[in-house]
Amino acid sequence: MSMKWWNSKIRVFLLTVVLCLSFVTQANAQSEYERRMYNYQTRWSKLIPKYTKVQFAGGMGFLSLGGGWNYGKNKQWETDVLFGFIPRYSDEKVRATFTLKQNFIPWNVKLGKDFSMDPLSCSLYANSVLDGDYWASAPDKYPNGYYSFSTKIRFNMALGQRFTYHFPVDKRRTRKSVTFFYEIGTNELYLISAFCNSYLKPNDYLHLSLGLKVQIL
Amino acid sequence: MRKRITLFFVTCSTIFLSGCDAFEYHPYDGKISGERNVNAKNIARIEEACKGKETIRFAFFGDTQRWYDETEDFVKALNKRDDIDFAIHGGDISDFGLTNEFIWMRDIMNKLKVPYVALLGNHDCLANGETIYRKIFGAENFSFLAGNVKFVCLNTNALEYDYSRPVPDFKFIEEQINEELEGHEKTVVAMHVRPYSMEFNDNVARVFQHYINFFKGLQFCLNAHDHHIKIDDLFGDGIIYYGTANIAKRKYLLFTIKPNDEYEYEVVEF
Repeated sequence: MSMKWWNSKIRVFLLTVVLCLSFVTQANAQSEYERRMYNYQTRWSKLIPKYTKVQFAGGMGFLSLGGGWNYGKNKQWETDVLFGFIPRYSDEKVRATFTLKQNFIPWNVKLGKDFSMDPLSCSLYANSVLDGDYWASAPDKYPNGYYSFSTKIRFNMALGQRFTYHFPVDKRRTRKSVTFFYEIGTNELYLISAFCNSYLKPNDYLHLSLGLKVQIL
Repeated sequence: MRKRITLFFVTCSTIFLSGCDAFEYHPYDGKISGERNVNAKNIARIEEACKGKETIRFAFFGDTQRWYDETEDFVKALNKRDDIDFAIHGGDISDFGLTNEFIWMRDIMNKLKVPYVALLGNHDCLANGETIYRKIFGAENFSFLAGNVKFVCLNTNALEYDYSRPVPDFKFIEEQINEELEGHEKTVVAMHVRPYSMEFNDNVARVFQHYINFFKGLQFCLNAHDHHIKIDDLFGDGIIYYGTANIAKRKYLLFTIKPNDEYEYEVVEF
């Protein structure tokens, strides 16, 4: 009798434990999945461009359009991906270009409630002409070192300044801020040429460029 | 209305900005400012100035690529003389084929008192360089008559073309051989790359020599490219190839073609 009672008590207890455990694990399983999915989406969402940008001139095309990401403690780093085009002018055709641009903006100065200014921006960028007539390294028909540069890829450097208007929080609809910037820059081939020749003056090899950045996120 | 004003401002600023040299769209954008068709204009000057002359004196220089200071010094040195009829640039105006390189060199050479012509070098073919060369200087094969001497200038940069175009162009050479010009008695053939140089199509080196020997009173050949003064009877037929140094060596060749099938040359340092 007592044995039977014990058995039934144990049975109830065990049943409760099992039920509880199953609930707990079920609940845990759900939150674990949600947590993982949340992390998964957060990771991918970092790939959503934070801004769009349009740049005029700058050795990367007449106009270049694209987007990019700003990051770092004070958002002082920026990476742009831009597509542009070179007008035909005296050439045979219009050519497309691709630019990968890295910017460093060390300081930001507030100007009143809605405006701010970046007194310095430093940019390094590689530009590629998307055309078969241009090569990244000299084709095999040439002996080694015959042409030791690339006609396709140019390395550029530029310094500039920026002015930003921040939309007040209650007026924001599709964007956070708009930035106007200008840059003065050159490429590595002009630099090499200028380095060995006093004939070339800064206005020969330094060029101005203008742009707009629309911050979305 | 607002849209119209915006459109007006965008149009105005685009016109203003695209006319401004401070902006560069691309180093290979082919945006040419200043003079074009330099060779044709200068050929007219050479032919006019040398009409009826029996003694012709000209400077042959080349490979100015990326040596702006030295080219400028060369121009100053040549401008100090008043015994020269014209100058010939043997090719490699540019180093990378950049649009601005052609413009910068043209502006330096345009300061020459004497008229000049420029040949197409292998470096001038890089990227879209040849297109720019054509617009600023002219066709890659051309000829002119200075006094009684015909100068035939040829594109011999075969390695740059992959058989997409005949280089050297025998059709052009044949036309030049058959062309009847009043007063034409002697011929000089100028090129950037000489036969048996790697850039030349060596399969036709002897054919080339065979052809150019049909030119009336062939005197000698001129080439650049090798960056050294090189004087050789390449084919053992008495036709001497005179190779000039690059401009960085501060040397050029000076030729005097005299009456009675005589000529002299001199290596001039500046």
